[in-house]
Amino acid sequence: MVNITIDDKKIEVPDGTTVLQAARMADIHIPTLCNHPHLTPYGGCRMCLVEVEGARTLQPSCTLPAGNNMVVHTDTPKTREARKFVLTLLFSERNHFCMYCQKSGGDCELQNCAYGEGMTHWPLPPNWQAYKVDASHPYYVMDHNRCILCRRCVRACGELAGNFTLGFEDRGANSILVADLGNPLGESTCVSCGTCVQVCPTGALIDRKSAYLGKDVQTEKTKSICLGCSLGCGIDVHTRDNQLVRIDGDWDAAVNGGILCMTGRFEPTVEERERIVTPLVRKNGALKAATWNEALFVVSEKLASLKGLNGSGVAALVSTRLPAEALHLFKQVFADVLQSKVVTSIEEGAYTAASTKVAKELGKPFEGTLADLEMADSVMAFGIDLVEDHQVAGFFIKRNLPKGTKLVVVDSQRNAMSDLAQLTLKPAARTEIDLIEGLAAAVALLNSNESALGGVLTGASLETAPQTTGVSAQAYLEAARLITAAENPVLIYGKGLAGNESALKALVEFAAQIGAKVIAPKGQANSVAAAQYGLEGTFEINGQKAVFIALGDDELSKTMQQRLEAVPFLVVASSYVNAATAKADVVLPVEMWAEVEGHYVNSEGRLQTAAASLTAPEGVLSSQKILAEIAARLGATPSVDWRKQLALPQLN
Amino acid sequence: MAKPKISTDWMAGCSGCHMSLLDIDERIVTVAELADIRSSPITDLKEPDSSGVDVGILEGGINNSANEEVAHKMRKRCKTLVALGDCAVFGGVPAMRNFFMMDETLRRAYVETESTDSEGKIPSDPELARMTRVRALEEVVPVDVYVPGCPPDPDVIYYVLAELAQGRKPEISGDKLDWH
Repeated sequence: MVNITIDDKKIEVPDGTTVLQAARMADIHIPTLCNHPHLTPYGGCRMCLVEVEGARTLQPSCTLPAGNNMVVHTDTPKTREARKFVLTLLFSERNHFCMYCQKSGGDCELQNCAYGEGMTHWPLPPNWQAYKVDASHPYYVMDHNRCILCRRCVRACGELAGNFTLGFEDRGANSILVADLGNPLGESTCVSCGTCVQVCPTGALIDRKSAYLGKDVQTEKTKSICLGCSLGCGIDVHTRDNQLVRIDGDWDAAVNGGILCMTGRFEPTVEERERIVTPLVRKNGALKAATWNEALFVVSEKLASLKGLNGSGVAALVSTRLPAEALHLFKQVFADVLQSKVVTSIEEGAYTAASTKVAKELGKPFEGTLADLEMADSVMAFGIDLVEDHQVAGFFIKRNLPKGTKLVVVDSQRNAMSDLAQLTLKPAARTEIDLIEGLAAAVALLNSNESALGGVLTGASLETAPQTTGVSAQAYLEAARLITAAENPVLIYGKGLAGNESALKALVEFAAQIGAKVIAPKGQANSVAAAQYGLEGTFEINGQKAVFIALGDDELSKTMQQRLEAVPFLVVASSYVNAATAKADVVLPVEMWAEVEGHYVNSEGRLQTAAASLTAPEGVLSSQKILAEIAARLGATPSVDWRKQLALPQLN
Repeated sequence: MAKPKISTDWMAGCSGCHMSLLDIDERIVTVAELADIRSSPITDLKEPDSSGVDVGILEGGINNSANEEVAHKMRKRCKTLVALGDCAVFGGVPAMRNFFMMDETLRRAYVETESTDSEGKIPSDPELARMTRVRALEEVVPVDVYVPGCPPDPDVIYYVLAELAQGRKPEISGDKLDWH
C-alpha cells in the first residue's frame, strides 16, 4: 500500500494504482479523454495533467503510478491553463463542429471537457483541411474530422476484441486512424463487434442506426442479456418511445465485461422481418385474423383430442431462445399433460445431449467456465469456429494471443481460427476419437521421455497413435508440446464434437491426463436450460396428427421445415412471419427478444435474467402466458417452479 | 446615466439566433427599459449609429465581402462586440462549405439542387459581394463576448443582454454554456 495526498485528501491505495485511479477512489474529478477504465492507460491526450510536488513538470495522472508520500494537486491555475491549452490544440487539430455532430449535447466527452473548462470558443481556428469520412461499413461511420487520436478504439480493438484491425498510420499531425493497412473499414478485417464505437469519446466513430435518434439523456437504458447465443453477454439496451435505439455492452457484466459481437450489438437493430400482431386461424385455406379466445379454443380443442395418443398424437418443438419459464411450461404441457413422446427443442440436443450423458456417467458436471478461457495460456479448439459463432468467447482467446497464449485448432473442416493458431490439425472426418487418442499417446510419450521436449523424438516413436486421422506423428507431438507446456490449458469443443458421446468421453479423459479444463459454448441462449428440462431429443415425426411450435422470434432450419411438410395440423407461436407461420393452421403472436422477461442459463450454467426493454404491441403475449393459457384450457395446473429442475453450479 | 445603446446585425447565419432573441418574450420589455435598442435587422434602423453604440451583437459567420463590411463597421462603432451563436463563434453550419471548392458549392446551390430547373446558373453580377471562405467572427475582428449555441437558449440571451445593459460582462459557464 502507498499513501498519497491528492488535493489535501490523504488516501491509502494498493501498489501500482495510478494517480488517476487513486483520485477517483477519493471522488476527486480529473478530466480525461484518452483514458478508459477498461483499457490500458495510454497517456496520449494530456487532459489529466496534475501538479506533483517536487516534479519539474506537470504529470499525466493516468499513467503515473501513485508513489508513497506523493503530494498531488489536480486543480491549480497551472493545471487549468494546461487543460485549456490541450483542448485548444485538440479543437484546432481537426474539425470539431458540434452543431452537426450526433454526439453533441451531452454524449461527447470532448465537448464535456470543454464545458468543464468553461470554453466559450476555440482560441485557435479549426484545421479546415477536409478529412475523409469512411462510410463503407454497414453498421458504423468513421469520421476523421472528429477524431482526437486518443487511440481508445485501437486499444479496444486489440485489448478487448483481440482483432487488431484498427491502428494508426503516419506521425504527428498526419496521424490517421486506419483499418488494416488503410482499407476502407467495410472491406477490412473488422468483425463488426462495435467495441470501438462504444469507447469512442467523440463523434469519430458513430453507430449508423442510432445516430441522431436521441442523446443518452433522452433514451431509457435497460440492463439485460443478449439472446444471440448461449454466452449470455450483458447488454444495456437504449430505447426511446418504445423503439430500440442502440445496444451497448454492459461494462459491469460478469460474462463479457462490456464487449459484444455483431450478433449482439448490431443485428437486432436492423430487424426487418414482418411482425405478427394478431392471432391467425386458417379458414377455407387462408390465414384469417382471429381473437385470442378463438385461436386458443381451436388449439386447445385440437390438442385435447390428441391427448395420450403417443404416435398419432401431438409433437412439440420449442426454441432455445425462450426463457426458462416458457421451456418449463412447454415441457409440462406437452410431455406431462398431453403425454407426447416427441417434445424437444429445435436444437434437438445437438450441443448438449452428449455432454448431459457424460456428466451423468461421471456423476458431476465436467465443464469449466468462461473465466477459465480467459485465464488459459493454451487453448485447443475441437470442431468449433469462434470467429464465426460465440464470437465473444473467441475474443477472450484472441486478445490473449499476443500475451503468449497458444492456440491449436482441431477441425476436419475449414476453420477461420486457423489463421490465428500456432497449429491446425485437420483430421479426416469422423476420426475424432482416434485423434484424441493420438494426442493422448503423444502426451504420454512426452511425459515418459524428457528428451522429447528437446525435439529428439521422431514420428516413428509415436507408433501407438491411430493412423486413420491422417495427422502426422510430428503434428501430434507439436500439439502435445503446446498443450502440455501450459499452466492453464483449456480444451474447448463445439458442434463437431458435441454430438459424439464417445469422442466427448475421450476428450474428458484427455483433459484429465493433461490437467485441462473443458469448455463448451453450447448453442442458443437457453440451450443449457432446455437440456436440463430434458428437451434435447430428436424431433422425429411419424404420423403425428399435430405439431405445436413455440418459436418465439427464432427461425426454423430448412431441414426442420422439411420434416414438417406432411403435418396435418400445425400451430406456430411466433413473433415474425416466416416459412413456418405461412404453413401453419393457427399462428399465435408472441414477444420478441427485447420484450421477453425471464431467465436464461448460459453455457457455463450461470442463471441470468432477461429484462424487457420494450413493451410488446397490444395483443401480443409472452410464450409462457400462451402456454399457461393452453394448460388451463386443457384443465391442467402446471407447476410454475421452473427453478427446481435446474442444476446450477455455484457461479452466481 | 444614459441607457447603454445596443445594436445587432446578422451575417452568414439563419437568423435563428435573432429568433431565439425574440424568444425571451416579454422580458424584451425589461431589456428595452434597461437599454436603448438602436438598430437590428428586424427594426427600422438597420445600422449602428455612426456616433457609436455600447454593445454590438453579431449573428452568423463571415462568408463574403459584405459580411466583412458589416463586421468591421460594427467593431468600429461598438465598445463591446458579442459573437452570438455557433456561426459567429465557430463558423457554424455555413462553414461546412469550406470543405468543398467554391465552384462546387455554387454549382450545388444554383444549378444542381432538386428544386432548380434547367435554367439554373451561378449569379455573376459585379454588384454582388465577393465570396470568401466562411470564417468565425474572431478571425476577422476581435470579439469581446462569445455566446455559443445553435441557437443560444433565450434564457442565456436574456442573461447576456441584461448583464451588458447593466454594464457588466456576462460570464458564460455552467448551465449557460452550450455549443450544441
